[in-house]
Amino acid sequence: MADEEYEMDGGAYDDEPMEPEPEEGAEEDVEGENKDEELPDPLLADTEEKEEQEQGERPRKTSKYMTKYERARILGTRALQISMNAPVMVELEGETDPLEIAMKELREKKIPFTIRRHLPDGSYEDWGVDELIVEDSWKRQVGSV
Amino acid sequence: MMNRNRGQKDIPLVFTKQPYVEDVGPQRIKSIKFSMLSDADILKMGEVQVSRSQCYVSQDKQSPTPNGLLDPHMGAPKRPKSAKCETCHGEFEVCPGHFGYSKLVLPVYNVGYLSHIVDILKCICKFCSRILLLEEERVDLLKKMRNPKLDHLKKNEIFKRVVKRCTAMASSRKAVTCSRCGYINGIVKRAVGTVGVIHDRSKVQDTTSEELRDAISHMNESKKTPAILSSFLNPDKALKLFKKMLDEDCDLLYLADRPEKLIMSSILVPPLPIRPSVIVDGGTTSNENDITLRLAEIIRANATLNQALTETSVNNKSQDAWEHLQIMDALYINSEVRVSQQLSMRNAKPISGLVQRLKGKQGRFRGNLSGKRVEYTGRTVISPDPNLKITEVAVPILMACILTYPERVSHHNIERLREAVRNGPSKYPGAKHIKKATHGTLMLHTNARKRLADELKFGDIVERHLIDGDVVLFNRQPSLHRMSIMSHRARIMPWRTLRFNESVCNPYNADFDGDEMNLHVPQTEEARTEALLLMGVQNNLCTPKNGEILVASTQDFLTSSFLITRKDTFYDRASFALMCCYMGDAMDPIDLPTPAFIYYTIYFQPIELWTGKQLFSVLLRPHADMRVYLNLTLTEKSYTKPSGKRDKPYETMCPNDGYVYIYNSELLSGQLGKATLGNGNKDGIYSVLLRDYNPNAAAACMNRLAKLSARWIGNHGFSIGIDDVQPGDDLNDNTSRIISEGNRKCDNFILDFNKGKLKLQPGCLYGKTTLEEQPLIMSQCGSKGSPINISQMIACVGQQSVGGQRAPNGFIDRSLPHFQRMSKTPAAKGFVANSFYSGLTATEFFFHTMGGREGLVDTAVKTADTGYMSRRLIKGLEDLSVYYDNTVRDSSACIVQFTYGGDGRDPSQMEGKAGFPLNFDRLLMKAKATCPAGKHRGMSPSEIREVVDERLSMHDMTPEGGCSEDFGKKLKGFVEKYAMTLESTRRALRPHNGEIQAEESTILEDVAQSISGITSQQLQVFLNTCISRYHQKKIEAGTNIGAIGAQSIGEPGTQMTLKTFHFAGVASMNVTLGVPRIKEILNAAKKISTPVITAKLNTNNNISFAKMVKGQMERTLLGQVAKSIKLVLGLRSASIVISLDKDTIQALQISIDAYTVKDSILKTPKIKLKEQHIKVLDARKLEVNPPSDRNKLYFDLHWLKNKLPTVVVKGIGTIERAVINKKKDRDKFNLLVEGTGIQAVMGMEGINGHETTTNHILELQSTLGIEAARRSIIKEIQYTMESHGMSIDIRHMMLLADVMTYKLMLLIGEVLGITRFGIQKMKESVLMLASFEKTTDHLFSAAVHGRVDKIEGVSECIIMGIPMQAGTGMIGVKQRVPQVEMCKRSEVIIS
Repeated sequence: MADEEYEMDGGAYDDEPMEPEPEEGAEEDVEGENKDEELPDPLLADTEEKEEQEQGERPRKTSKYMTKYERARILGTRALQISMNAPVMVELEGETDPLEIAMKELREKKIPFTIRRHLPDGSYEDWGVDELIVEDSWKRQVGSV
Repeated sequence: MMNRNRGQKDIPLVFTKQPYVEDVGPQRIKSIKFSMLSDADILKMGEVQVSRSQCYVSQDKQSPTPNGLLDPHMGAPKRPKSAKCETCHGEFEVCPGHFGYSKLVLPVYNVGYLSHIVDILKCICKFCSRILLLEEERVDLLKKMRNPKLDHLKKNEIFKRVVKRCTAMASSRKAVTCSRCGYINGIVKRAVGTVGVIHDRSKVQDTTSEELRDAISHMNESKKTPAILSSFLNPDKALKLFKKMLDEDCDLLYLADRPEKLIMSSILVPPLPIRPSVIVDGGTTSNENDITLRLAEIIRANATLNQALTETSVNNKSQDAWEHLQIMDALYINSEVRVSQQLSMRNAKPISGLVQRLKGKQGRFRGNLSGKRVEYTGRTVISPDPNLKITEVAVPILMACILTYPERVSHHNIERLREAVRNGPSKYPGAKHIKKATHGTLMLHTNARKRLADELKFGDIVERHLIDGDVVLFNRQPSLHRMSIMSHRARIMPWRTLRFNESVCNPYNADFDGDEMNLHVPQTEEARTEALLLMGVQNNLCTPKNGEILVASTQDFLTSSFLITRKDTFYDRASFALMCCYMGDAMDPIDLPTPAFIYYTIYFQPIELWTGKQLFSVLLRPHADMRVYLNLTLTEKSYTKPSGKRDKPYETMCPNDGYVYIYNSELLSGQLGKATLGNGNKDGIYSVLLRDYNPNAAAACMNRLAKLSARWIGNHGFSIGIDDVQPGDDLNDNTSRIISEGNRKCDNFILDFNKGKLKLQPGCLYGKTTLEEQPLIMSQCGSKGSPINISQMIACVGQQSVGGQRAPNGFIDRSLPHFQRMSKTPAAKGFVANSFYSGLTATEFFFHTMGGREGLVDTAVKTADTGYMSRRLIKGLEDLSVYYDNTVRDSSACIVQFTYGGDGRDPSQMEGKAGFPLNFDRLLMKAKATCPAGKHRGMSPSEIREVVDERLSMHDMTPEGGCSEDFGKKLKGFVEKYAMTLESTRRALRPHNGEIQAEESTILEDVAQSISGITSQQLQVFLNTCISRYHQKKIEAGTNIGAIGAQSIGEPGTQMTLKTFHFAGVASMNVTLGVPRIKEILNAAKKISTPVITAKLNTNNNISFAKMVKGQMERTLLGQVAKSIKLVLGLRSASIVISLDKDTIQALQISIDAYTVKDSILKTPKIKLKEQHIKVLDARKLEVNPPSDRNKLYFDLHWLKNKLPTVVVKGIGTIERAVINKKKDRDKFNLLVEGTGIQAVMGMEGINGHETTTNHILELQSTLGIEAARRSIIKEIQYTMESHGMSIDIRHMMLLADVMTYKLMLLIGEVLGITRFGIQKMKESVLMLASFEKTTDHLFSAAVHGRVDKIEGVSECIIMGIPMQAGTGMIGVKQRVPQVEMCKRSEVIIS
């Protein structure tokens, strides 16, 4: 059972470097940003968007990797939503546990959340969940070990 | 977002129209302001006047007295049920209670504010209420005080200065004349033995006091002494003074409010719910709360005073009654106030006051606010179960039926939940309650379960029993570090114990000798997600203390691995396949490896044989599809180091098979033991799996090994009996020979009158056994026991020690009456020659118990000590976390470190030694193993360097790219070293004559490459792996690094055993170690028990130079160098004559003569002699003629004679002695100086001041500054921990040192201890300080100063029940409303 897990991360025998290449992450990042731009924000978030734009003039400085705390928070909030019968954003393959579903959504970058990272000077940066890179090593921890 | 639903209760429809109530949304406490209540406030708050001290009207305890202490206006009583609150008409469950008030006839001091009252009274004129300072000083200080930028600490400092100025004025002249009204003020102080303030004007000389004294002298009948009578400053007077005070002066005295609020004229009677009256004995008697009793006493005292005042006959009576009221009020607030009259009965249990409710471990702050009792909890005995995964815990069915989880019905789970509802609360898997949006909670005890199950709707919440796979938190006390509570998956099992895999014993520090553990069930989806992701066992395999693996195989698992991987163990197909099946319950696909060899029986029948080592290859990589390529080398305990002629390491050819070599998941050599499989290392199999692959890979291997081991050893059998510890004859001979030899040696020592200490090395005995015994196996593989344990069982128990010494003399000149007096033989001083097998003699047994008891006492004492230390550390560091800009800050965003630990790495992920992020050797090995060279050509050293330089110049290796310089340097250095090796290999291969042909040269090159070459691909992979992995190890924003650091330092403290001293290089120079030393460092102690200065010499290879410096430095007293100090009494004069001993002076190599001695005497502070009193007679003689009058002369001379020998004539007075220390390897010397005074030592000639340090941190700070102190804290903690064999990541110690040194006091750094005084200066928050120590002091002063607590820190947030600003609470999450469809449509239109 657990074996599938490591196949994902095993690293290729022959030629591939063992660690995930940074280029991969970079690609994802670019994709994420594009997606974000495509989506015009809804009425509610309109003002927010403007703020973000003003903020956006300053390049975002914080790490493009999602921290484990962000991940836990997002998955928790999303799992709560799913457990309260919120519409699921991915195709299900027999998963019933809200947390598992939330994890699948995160893997497919379908969680409709924005993270607000507060900096100590009082300013903040908004990052879409789909913009952040989720580290590979966290993949499928919820599955039976 | 989540709190939105709180408080919106569904009320059954009552009105046809419901009033519109605006939903203000979730409310959150932003801050708390502390203030004092005025009389008017109290009257406003009080719903009823409480004027009667009775509680109930009659004996039947039915109706409370109106205006009595239990007046129903103050809240509904619990019984009878029908009773209602007369203020809000709510019932007991609903009514929060209301305050009452009670008016006091005369004002009294509030005892909590008494110190503030005294301070204020010290500063104001007791006539005109103005501040006693002079006008310009007052204006100046007021200006400073009103600076809006000032924080609490600075303001408090100014206030202290004001008080000091005012008292200094008073104490210097004993009286201060008010510059404004001319009134002469005396000294104000707190009264002793009662609650009051004394204004001592007895020494004041002015007309009023004269008159008073006159008047009193005529009244002889007055009982009280006039001084006391006049000196008491009664509360009424103080109140009047306070009322007259100007607001300006209040500001100066750091009063947020009017000072009259400090004095009580009426008291607030707390509501009934906080002081419930409990009716017992069927309603005949009632148990009143302590507060109620105290209030009753106050009301009675008040009534007495009132009566005394109305009957104006005797004045004294009212004074006494007033004082009594004052004391009663004080005791109500704080029952520990010391009053001379023992008013409350001593025998009964003391009635507690308000302060006692808040204070202490069981008090409100620590007992109820910082830690709360919880529901959904279980606790029972634990037992092991190797068949469980490490992430699982077996929960007994009985427990699972009580613990529930509220699951919301959705279409995924409706069928399961229906079944659960049908089963009801007693049948597993059932449910206890249903919560419906419309009907509230429904119990499932009823028979209507079937109907309820059928009626179950989406959105209902079913409180179902715990089922397999539920997330639970598992914990064992003492919770010393974060791995003491981890989340597991529940497995519901029969029987009554909580079970888990033995591999997880370590983090909990659990064993199964009757330990109990706790289980908690998180109740929301968010809670279980966070528990699983952050606290899950698989995410906490490593300790953040130093990155070592903590969850790993133990005990039997190690024993069986050790036995399986023996060199001479072979298995045929059947048994090998069986063992493979053990690993995964025969459920996993397994590829059998090729048999190691084929054995032909005598009938030429081939038998395939596998080695035990191959089994481990299967364990690591069961089948070919699994792409796990583990590569590691390490040495086990049994690894033989080359000795004798051989200097090349044995490596894989180790005769004991102690060199573990795993190549691409194949175990090539080595017998596996603790170093490979056990906890507490960084290079074992599990650590490497965890780092190179993922936690699940490591966990899966642990599971497999646990199952394999449990089954295999069950069949194989492993037991220990008495015959296992039976020594052989030759061993017995050896033992007795060594012991008798030792005895003979010792006898010789005794003959030489030497108290030489004999200590046999027990280890040398056991080595001679050749038997393959079970205990030996256990000790060798590291599962249990040490060589000493074995030798104690078999050969000899050895020397018993008490307090680090041999057994002390409990009797006169002997340790036990069984021995001769003054006997110093080994047996008489605690040497146990017998083994546990042969049995101890009576005296040996006594000595053994002495040693044993010391151990027990030590552990008992140390637990309390280290517990308190941990608590202080946590309180000091709890709110430090990493912010998104990578700085480490406290909760008020004050920077403690710019980058965590200097490089921003996460200590729990460090792979290398000494907290270095990576282990390059292993990574290179892995890179070479996973990318075999094949046809690729190796690179030349210059090519290697080129590639490395290119890679290292890329952005992610620069400091801006988040890489520390140190790492880049180390990486470069490593590859450089590799290139050098390649170069030297090539050189070594080249023939000496230097002539080689082209063909030959390529062959040679190939050989060189195969020995130490690297292909470009391998190098690329290696570099990229290193760099990307380095970046992955970054500490994540939000990590509560302070708490982790505190735990990492506190937890090892509990393990520090006996060793409190240790020799610093040379004998007889002790240094404190262990818990006492850590305590000294944390306390920032001004006086430490063994201060040692380590001084470097300018010329460090010359012993005589060192001796000279030592002589210069060491304190020489006059007594030591004087031949005589004589009293010479003549007819006309008397003097002391000192003559110096020339020989001694020369022997000591110091330059002293009478002149320098004279200077030294003059410099000595206590001896007040002047130049003219000392006469130098010649170079070796002095005469001292002290000035004195004739009457005292003789005594003075004698005093001087006693004093003079202690005069320091040479050296530094503060140092005890200096010892020359020879460094181990080379002929280098340095000085170890016992004592303080580093400044003087550094200034000495011959000492290299740049490299001279001390272990006294505060002294270092005052001499060299705060940065030196910081470095010293880190160094000292590290040294102490290391000498106990404990490794802690340096980042934790850096953080601690930074916290201790980051605060600026008066523009210079100050070392703050992690004590109540230091923490007070570090933290702003009142609640945090109140929850630490001195609870009420902080609360009272916060009220006086009008402090505001902004609820930002960890403690405050816990107290208020608010998510804290760290970890998952640090970020905001915003839902993005999906607009996907709209977006698509617009696209369609455009296109």
